This record gives sequence, C-alpha cells and structure tokens, in this order.
Amino acid sequence: MLRAAVAKRRGAFALDVAVEAAAGAVLVVVGESGAGKTTLLRLLAGLDAPDTGRIAVEGRVWFDASAGVAVPPWEREIGFVAQDYALFPHLTVRDNVAFGVRAQGLPRREAGARADAALERMGVGALAPRRPAELSGGQQQRVALARATVTEPRLLLLDEPLSALDLGSRQAVRGELRSLLAQLACATVFVTHSPVDATVFGDTIAVIESGALTQVGARDELLRHPRSPYVATLLGVNLLRGTLIGRETGGVAHVRTAEGLLAVADPGVDGDVYVTVNPQEITLSPEPPAGSAQNVFRGAVLEIVPEPPAGDRVRVALATSPPLVAEVTRQAVDALGLRPGMPVHASFKATGVKAYR
Amino acid sequence: MPARSRRRGRWWAIGVAVAVGALLALLGLPLASLVIRVPPGVLWARLLTPASLAALRLSLVTSVLSTLAVVALGLPAAYVLATRPFRGRRVLEVLVELPMVLPPTVAGIGLLLAFGRAGLAGRVLGWFGLSIPFTTLAVVLAQLFVSCPFFIAAATAGLREVDGRYADAAATLRADPGHAFRRVLLPLALPSVVAGAAMSWARALGEFGATIMFAGNLPGRTQTLPLAVYMGLQTDLESAVALSVLLLILSFTVLLGLRLAHRTPRVPWLGRAAGGGR
Repeated sequence: MLRAAVAKRRGAFALDVAVEAAAGAVLVVVGESGAGKTTLLRLLAGLDAPDTGRIAVEGRVWFDASAGVAVPPWEREIGFVAQDYALFPHLTVRDNVAFGVRAQGLPRREAGARADAALERMGVGALAPRRPAELSGGQQQRVALARATVTEPRLLLLDEPLSALDLGSRQAVRGELRSLLAQLACATVFVTHSPVDATVFGDTIAVIESGALTQVGARDELLRHPRSPYVATLLGVNLLRGTLIGRETGGVAHVRTAEGLLAVADPGVDGDVYVTVNPQEITLSPEPPAGSAQNVFRGAVLEIVPEPPAGDRVRVALATSPPLVAEVTRQAVDALGLRPGMPVHASFKATGVKAYR
Repeated sequence: MPARSRRRGRWWAIGVAVAVGALLALLGLPLASLVIRVPPGVLWARLLTPASLAALRLSLVTSVLSTLAVVALGLPAAYVLATRPFRGRRVLEVLVELPMVLPPTVAGIGLLLAFGRAGLAGRVLGWFGLSIPFTTLAVVLAQLFVSCPFFIAAATAGLREVDGRYADAAATLRADPGHAFRRVLLPLALPSVVAGAAMSWARALGEFGATIMFAGNLPGRTQTLPLAVYMGLQTDLESAVALSVLLLILSFTVLLGLRLAHRTPRVPWLGRAAGGGR
C-alpha cells in the first residue's frame, strides 16, 4: 500500500499531488510530457526530495517533511524502470540484474542464480552473458524489468516503460507486462502519456495536468465520466460543462452551457453537470437537418483527420460554438464533399448526450 | 568574383602551411637534435653508467609512488568535485588546478616554507625528530604537488561525464553512494581516470624545479633524471643527452599510448583534442 502526498516547486513549475495504490494494484498516472509525471516518480523513489509532504509504503514512512524523515533511495526497497532503462553498459545482462541483490549483500553465486531465474521468468534467460548494447529495445525492457523486480520491491515505479519500443514489440510487450504486473505483490505506479496504456494497465487511473491531478478514479468510472477536457480528449469524446435548467416529458432535460443550450438525456440530478457527446452520435449536413435531432450547431469544418486503425472512420473537427468533434465514415465525407472551411450543420439527438454530476 | 575569392583561398592555404611548418620546426628541431646528436651505441653506454642507472631507478620509484599517492588522495577529491554541488566549489577547483600553472620553483619555496625546519608542518614533524626536506620523500612530495592537477582534472571530467541516469539506477537498486561509486561510477569513468594517472605520472617523471629547491640534488637520494640531465650539462654532455633521450621516449610513449587507447586526457579548459572520439 502506497500513500503519498507531495509538493515540489521548481522554477515556475509546481507539482502538488496525492496518490494511493493498494498492494498488488497498478496506479497509472497519465498526462502530457511536462505535466510532472517523471518528477512524481523521482519524488517517490527518493531521487529528489519534496518540498513538503509525506510518503509511506506498507506503514513505513519514507519521507515526512514535518518529521524530518527522508529515507535515501537505496534504503527504500523500490524497483525503478527509467524511460530508457539505464542498463549499466559495462556489466553483462546477468550482472545488471544481479546488481540489486549483490548490493543487498548476497554472495556472487547466489545473486547470479537469482538473476538467471528472474531473466528466465521474463523469457530472456539466454541473454544473461550479453552486454546491454547488443540487445534490442524489447529485450532491454525485459532485462530492466527483471532487474527492478528481482529485489522484491515494496513499490515498483515504471516511467513510460513502453515508449522506447517500436510499435511491433510494444504490442507484444504490453501483454507480457500486464501479466507480470498482475503477479506482483507490491503496488505499482506506472506513468505514461498514452491513453491506451492507461486503460490497459490502470486499475486506477490518475490524470495529471500541469502538476496537479485533475481526475482520479477506477478505469471504468474514468471512461464513463470524464471530468476534464484532457481526459475527454484522451477518450475522444466532446466534453462540456453546464447547469441543468429544466426538464420536459419524455426523459429530455435542458442544460445551459457557456456556449448555448443543449437538450440532453435527463440525468435525474439537478445543478452543475458534465455533458459528453459521443462523436459518433453527431450527424453532419450542409443544410439544416429536417429530422428529430434537438441539438443543431452551425459552423465551419476545421480539420479532417482519418481515425486509425479502423480506416473507414474519419474525425472532423468543427468550428462550432461549442467546438465539437464528429466521427463519420469516409463515404459520408465523400458524399457531402466535406473540406476544411466548408460550413456545415452538426446535429445530434438528446438521447445521444450524456449528462452527469 | 570567383577569381578573387580563389586567389584569397590560395593565400589562406599558404599562410596556414607556413604557420604549421614554423611550429613543427620549433617543436621538432630541438627534439631531432637530441636524437641525432649522439650515436645510439654511445647513448646506450651512457645510460648504463652507475650514476645514470641510479637516477633512473630513483625517478621510476618516486614517480610511481607519487602517482599512487595522487590517485589515492585525488580520486576522493575528484568524486566530490564531480558529484557534489557545494558552496565554494569554484574556488576549490582553482586551488586544485593552481600547481598546473604555478612556476615549479614557487611550489618548491612553498614546500620548503611548509615542511622546512621553521615551517608550519615542519615544526610539528620536528617534535618527532622527522625532517622532510632533502630526502627521497621530499622528491615524492614535490612530484605530488605539481602533478596532482593533471590527475584531478581528468578524473573529475571523466566522473562528471558519466550519465546521471546510471547513478540514479544504482541508487534505486540498493546501492549506497560507496557501492555505486565502486561498481558503477568508477568503472564507467575508468578510461579518464587511467589517462589522468598516466598524465600525472609523466608530469612527475619530468619534475625539476620544485624538486631541486625542496629536495636538493643528492645523487642516489634526490637526484632524479631531470636533475641528472641538468648536472650532466655542466660535466658530461653525452650523459645529459642520453638521459634526455630516455625521458623523451618515455613521455612520447605515454602520450602515444593514451592516443592509441582512443582517449585523450580530458582537461576541461582545453576541451577534448580532435580524434579523441569513442
């Protein structure tokens, strides 16, 4: 169990977050580069000292500014995988993995055996006598994971463990890493900028934006109810904020947003709400739509972006007020003759709009 | 104006060639003169005289001892300079570099005033009946004083160049700073440390001014090779030349060896010489 609340100021940047992770669980901290993810990991590892705060793992206090406690990294019992792995270039793979247990005082022979077993578990036992420079990115990543976990840490810290890999090996390693993390008894903090990795690995996902956590929750909660524009963008949905101002019969309610009125599916609550519009619910047409859609916004096409990997879906960004992103088929783009600058009407039904508090 | 720029280019090339030629002549002529002055057979015979051999043995023993001392005392200093930002580090760096540019005679006077009978340290040593000046130990101290900057500069630069990620990785792998230094930092910086030790040894081998002032010129006890060359100049030119050629060969071998090891000694204020890639 990790409980940490730390703050650190560095020039104009300030990090101030509180995180928790249960033993055996994975906390993913997701955010853009520069949001403070690596800084947070370095504070947890003890490589940098927070200005204020407290870090405790399994009841042991590693850092407490008010009590003057600051356990150095080598006494924290952590496993740390840096973004580029930082395997020692002058040591063989076996000696790299054995390094931690050797530093703990294990005799050379036993440490070597432990290292071999850890490498075997990662499926790279044959690499033991090689040097890191001879390994591929995926192999280095497995060795780094073996090195970080062979000491049986109380907290595992992973800094973008997949970002240094090419696309092909990333797919393979993602699956392996997931099953490895599921076997670990310790808490894991996994930072990434990739929303895909966040949803694949995170039992709990914390979204970090310019040094602060803007949303923390279980994966499904986050997927269903994004509460920040960043998360909404990650998930590819349109997010608006507004106030519920009235409801009519048939399960439709009205929400006033800064940019206009919306008809939404009645959330059954009052007051301030978040509103998400799934881009696939939005229909585009050159003329005002004649159908039953209650929400119609007019604006120019900003940008047309093919949506990988499906291939035939296309995301269309609109200069409507509020700004919206629609997802339509490629055939629709061709049929309507959509191009940047062209004025269109974006329409969607109230039942396709989700409001929640 | 292609013709004009071509003409200008030619003058530039000629100017560079003349300057380089003049420099090579200035550096090369004295060295060549040393080598061709005395026939090899005579050189060999002069080297094998008891006086020359005594100077050679003394030089080797003292320079090796002083280099060992430089490494033992300099490595911790280089570690501190390379890894700890602290108040007054610049001042300490200058202090450590100072012997590099200080005239060795100034170093000699300083050593005499410190360790001489009336000196700060000399008086304390005197209570125990110890006296350093004009002993072989004084030779070693003089060499240590003038040669340690070469080692510390190279070792500091080498340690500083080790990627911080490795130190971080070591720390997260249970390695306290001592363990991390022995197993990670030092092995990764080893080429620079060895290069620094070699430069320091070469400087100690050639040390003259501080030695003659602080240790005197006693054959067999304090008369090292450079001092023997100086004495030979007045009494026996052929011996002086023979010892000079020996020193020349030793220095040349050290520098060439460092070059061949694909490492130039990294002296920060000189930058890294061309061709010293890795």
